[in-house]
Amino acid sequence: MPGGPAGGGPAAWPATGAGAATSGAATFAGAWAKAVSGTSYLPMTQAQLEALLCRLAQDLAAALLAEPFDLRAGQRVGAELVAAHIASAEGLGRTVEVVQLRLVRDLGLVADDVEDRMARLLAAVATGYARALRDRTLDEQESIRRAAMTARAEAERALRASEARFRHQATHDPLTGLPNRALFTERLAAAVNTPGRAADRVGLCFLDLDRFKRINDSYGHQVGDALLTMVADRFRRALDGHLVARLGGDAFVVLIENTGGTRDVIAVAEAALAAVHEPALVAGHEVAVTASVGLVERQVAGTSPGELMRAADCTMHWAKSAGGDCWELYDAERHHRQLARQALSAAIPAALERGEFFLDYQPLASLRDGRLIGVEALVRWRHPQLGVLRPDSFIDLAEETGLIVPLGGWVLAEACRAAGTWSASGGAAPFVSVNLAVRQVHRPGLVQEVRTLLRHTGLPPERLQLEITESTMMSTAEEPVRALRVLADLGVRIAIDDFGTGYCNLAYLRDLPVTELKVAGEFVAGLRTPEARADERILASLVSLAHALDLTVTAEGVETAGQAERLRAIGCDAGQGWHFGRPEPADRILARLS
Amino acid sequence: MGRPNWAPDEIDIERPSVARMYDYYLGGSHNFAVDRAAAQAMVAAVPEAPLMAQANRAFLRRAVQFLVDAGVRQFLDIGSGIPTVGNVHEIAQRAAPDARVVYVDVDPVAVAHSREILAGNDGATIVQEDLRHPERIVDHPDVRRLIDFDRPVAVLIVAVLHFVPDDDRPAELLRTLRDALAPDSWLVLSQASADGRGDDERAEAEAVYRRTDNPLWIRSRSELTALFDGFELVEPGVVWVPQWRPESPESAEEAERSAFIGGVGRLGG
Repeated sequence: MPGGPAGGGPAAWPATGAGAATSGAATFAGAWAKAVSGTSYLPMTQAQLEALLCRLAQDLAAALLAEPFDLRAGQRVGAELVAAHIASAEGLGRTVEVVQLRLVRDLGLVADDVEDRMARLLAAVATGYARALRDRTLDEQESIRRAAMTARAEAERALRASEARFRHQATHDPLTGLPNRALFTERLAAAVNTPGRAADRVGLCFLDLDRFKRINDSYGHQVGDALLTMVADRFRRALDGHLVARLGGDAFVVLIENTGGTRDVIAVAEAALAAVHEPALVAGHEVAVTASVGLVERQVAGTSPGELMRAADCTMHWAKSAGGDCWELYDAERHHRQLARQALSAAIPAALERGEFFLDYQPLASLRDGRLIGVEALVRWRHPQLGVLRPDSFIDLAEETGLIVPLGGWVLAEACRAAGTWSASGGAAPFVSVNLAVRQVHRPGLVQEVRTLLRHTGLPPERLQLEITESTMMSTAEEPVRALRVLADLGVRIAIDDFGTGYCNLAYLRDLPVTELKVAGEFVAGLRTPEARADERILASLVSLAHALDLTVTAEGVETAGQAERLRAIGCDAGQGWHFGRPEPADRILARLS
Repeated sequence: MGRPNWAPDEIDIERPSVARMYDYYLGGSHNFAVDRAAAQAMVAAVPEAPLMAQANRAFLRRAVQFLVDAGVRQFLDIGSGIPTVGNVHEIAQRAAPDARVVYVDVDPVAVAHSREILAGNDGATIVQEDLRHPERIVDHPDVRRLIDFDRPVAVLIVAVLHFVPDDDRPAELLRTLRDALAPDSWLVLSQASADGRGDDERAEAEAVYRRTDNPLWIRSRSELTALFDGFELVEPGVVWVPQWRPESPESAEEAERSAFIGGVGRLGG
């Protein structure tokens, strides 16, 4: 308790009485209110403010006169001012000023040591005020900082949530909700590249819906999408526990981790095929769905995600080639053969440019007198690494890829060029027989191509024979027939190659300008054994059929003199085969001729 | 710039916030050094700035009291800022304990602070949204939880419209809000005006607020009056805020120093 004023004069209300004191307090409160208004925002009406200040004025008056003098009363008033939001530096300054100037006078206070007491009272008010204001400031600072932190945490949480949402969008297929290629690649990489997993085995099941494009085309994309969604749901259910991803389009892939062998991936494939097989009713359409599945399963060590994906993808195409609705298991040897073939096929254009192809010729001899009447041009490839390749190792590839058109064009041109230089000493020079692939025959411009070649090489048309297969004529297109007819009218010989082994529609013999039938070697092979009467009868019938139609017949694959003799007896016109000469460069054949 | 577009806004307390500057004008300490620096620059340009804020706050208090007396029990305070002294819910719920108040502010710190203040108050809440998206405000589940739009609502947009430039089509925003309201609903608007002030002062004030996310858009009394479209202004119309139903004649003296104009309108039935 601070010491009271010296003398400690008795407190005394002025003689005018309590009523006057009250009205004095109100007058003072009005002045006080005016002094503090505008120093800070006061959340009350003027009347409320004056009532508050009036009460505080009376508290101050009481404190001023109290015996003993109590500093706490002044401090309380300071704190109450702050609590009422009269809380600013200016608010305090003006309060001190107005109390000092007017409190004693307005309230008519009388005390011996009133100046002393006033100084100490104001000190107490200022102390209480400053303390409360400081506490309040600190509280408010703390609360706004806390709010800022909360807002930050909230923003962070929102960021993480949208990151998670964004990541989900980035890693999932929007149509089916399945993981997408990105997520699959990530998980596959983790399965293969995580250290310590080298001894594990891993499998992939690559699924592609069969003829999905046709569903899209015939029912529209909405039905296609609905079907994909349905298939995805089935996969999710049937292949629970494995990561199923949609790679795009109608391609899906399943990651099978920790496999024990191929049976594990086969089980997944069969479950997937069964799931696809369930009858599907999509947008009111009953749709039959099948899939082609490629499987690969191997130890993690020594493989890579890319290799696994390529292997599974390529295997899926084997299943497609096998007609779909089945699975195939990756076979490294088959894959390597395929790769080698692809490499060979890719090398054809450059080989053509570099002149790696050349022609050998095989004699066609008259069975009547053994005279050389023609040669068949046979293409060879002098491959820089693989040596000389026979046509059976690359013609199929060229046909698949369409490279047969430039390659066949080169063969035709080269054969015509060479044949144009052959001169006959004595008899007629041999004709040259060139194989035409289906695509060459169906290509517009064939007639023009042949005409130009004949003009440039000077080769008479009757010394060019074009060999086509029966399958060339299977299509009902009129254009090829018209082209062949024009060529035949020019005098070019048209032969049906491998007659009797393909699709054998005799009707085309009536429509086509054919001049010769080449009978497949397998009939001739039968002539080696005396008891093969059936082959001989077939040959005889073919010959008589051909002759009835004014066609000549050449037998292929004649290997022995006995076969040649039998064929001659049947009435066959000409023969081709080892018995008459193997394929060799033209100059050697021509040398023998002269 | 480097932030992907899916990311929510960052909390940048290195930038002055108009809500915390306003708190500073009112004498509060819910502000950071950067806010005080900006507010002090404003005071240097416009010395009456604290008085303006106080006058505006007093207008809000009188307007809410007026609405409570008129029987309104639902308040939607858009752009409520830092829930400093003299909040709408304090005024409204003191007079009518069943009054419901939804605060709306775009400033995440103000929102977090409001949430803390309002914890435990079932009749009041805060929603983080922008006045520029009134349809989102009206459809917000927390707004719908407390406010029944089939009954009269008082929409308070006090000391906010000067942060909404004409390019943001304030009339359309207000029309959207109006269309959501039942007859006998109310609209309270106030905003800074430069009527009767020099160009220099106006330019300096605008320069200060360009440092915040919310540049100033001053409007004249007739422009603000036009924004009450569809509402019937109660007496005395759009005036300097100290002149709006003052509690004593003295408090309306030198009213133009407040630089704030405001009014209260009622939606016809």
